[in-house]
Amino acid sequence: MITINGISKEFKEGITGKCVKALENLELEIKQGEVFGFLGPNGAGKSTAIKILMNLIFPNSGKAEIGGKDVRDPEARRIVGYLPENPYFYDYLTTDELLWFGGRTAGMDSNSIRERSDLLVQQVNLQNARKRPLRTYSKGMVQRAGLAMALIHDPDVVILDEPMSGLDPIGRKMVGDLLIELKGQGKTVFFSSHILNDIERFSDRAGIIIGGKLKRVDTLQNLLSGGKNLEDVFMSEVALAEGGTAG
Amino acid sequence: MTTFWPIALITFKEGIRNRAIYGITLVALMLFGATALVATMVPREVGKVAVDMALSTISFAGLLIVLFVGINLMAKDLDKRTIYTVLSRPISRSQYIIGKFLGMILLITVTMSILSLLAITAIVMLKNIHAGYFTRFSWQTIILADGLTVLMLIVLSAISFLFASFTSSSFITLVLTIITYIIGQSLSGVKSLLEAPSYEIGFSVSPVTVKVVTAAYYLFPNLSLFDIKLQAAHALAVSPSFILWTVLYGLVYIVISITLAAIIFRKKEFP
Repeated sequence: MITINGISKEFKEGITGKCVKALENLELEIKQGEVFGFLGPNGAGKSTAIKILMNLIFPNSGKAEIGGKDVRDPEARRIVGYLPENPYFYDYLTTDELLWFGGRTAGMDSNSIRERSDLLVQQVNLQNARKRPLRTYSKGMVQRAGLAMALIHDPDVVILDEPMSGLDPIGRKMVGDLLIELKGQGKTVFFSSHILNDIERFSDRAGIIIGGKLKRVDTLQNLLSGGKNLEDVFMSEVALAEGGTAG
Repeated sequence: MTTFWPIALITFKEGIRNRAIYGITLVALMLFGATALVATMVPREVGKVAVDMALSTISFAGLLIVLFVGINLMAKDLDKRTIYTVLSRPISRSQYIIGKFLGMILLITVTMSILSLLAITAIVMLKNIHAGYFTRFSWQTIILADGLTVLMLIVLSAISFLFASFTSSSFITLVLTIITYIIGQSLSGVKSLLEAPSYEIGFSVSPVTVKVVTAAYYLFPNLSLFDIKLQAAHALAVSPSFILWTVLYGLVYIVISITLAAIIFRKKEFP
């Protein structure tokens, strides 16, 4: 469902224009119905990979596809719901208007938008705030509104960049429940996180990325074989990447 | 249109609900009040002063809307990264720019219509009180002047979109747009001055300066072209061909600016 073929990305930094490698030859394939956790420390390249999938930045080399369509084609995003890290929306719009916008741009009619909006605002617990301007929302509420917008058109592929960031325990549980529900519906979910517990709880498969390089990809079952926990696996990969000894 | 409309509508809603709009309208209301006061201070010229001041108020308030509400509508998407969510929908970047611009046109048209209604009310009231001083008066020219002001604001807005497509912050876009406005309003006069014979203006100008000003004249939009407030105040006839060419000139500038903005935007990255 999601294919990333040998993607590399460099950014130019500062006035000297020094190149910094953000991604190096990333190869990844996520199958339909799979929940894939993308794990890595801050600045590892998780968001860069996601932004390439959403065509917000362009790779220096390589190619990415969603549902068989090149990500540079806007039609590839018709089946995608995306929540960016720390989302920010229009100050004076309400959740209802945000969902209307999301639905209309995905080609939904007014009735379908209304029905789906009612369901989603309930799921993300924004019933009492749906008519309020988004600038009056807390960070967690904005995150939940963004999640509802990502799901308004019932997408086959859901891409979430740090979906738990900024959420209180209730919000985290709500997102967790949503992930489980999406998994139950057979949706393909690609989410990034640096919180080991989230990856361990929700993923079928996980990839560990460090310094722009994908260090390991495997099923959770294989990653945690031999009674290891994800923290051990992750720390040993970090140590290897830094040239130390795996613990 | 199905893709442009949702973007245009949320842009309009975001703009019209901005508190700055209420502030600008309030300032305009006070200026319309001042129009009545100032106009009666020059008894023989009440009509001319009233029309000139009312149209100037519309133009000034419209300029504030473009600079402080309009620019933010586009630039804030980039500053605050709202664009991530918008571009994650199945829309192309060109569709985003065009939709956003249509929303901006809608905002300018609606706010300017409200301001124009207020201006017309002020003029009608003064006309009823001082009917004798409104002998040389033409609603047609006033409406034309108002329409050209709206077009000028749309041209300026299109240019601000072009700036926003390659600058990294809303502040730079604002500064560049203000500079363009100032140059656009004064360039025609400066060019005429430099092209006049040196014995008439009393000093000589180097050919390089003339070339620079001429280049700037063709690069920047001649915004003074859209200003026929003087003709409206004195109820002077404006030739249809002038109106036609000015409208065409404005439309060409809009199309070029938005096309360039869309081309630049297609290559832009949002890290």
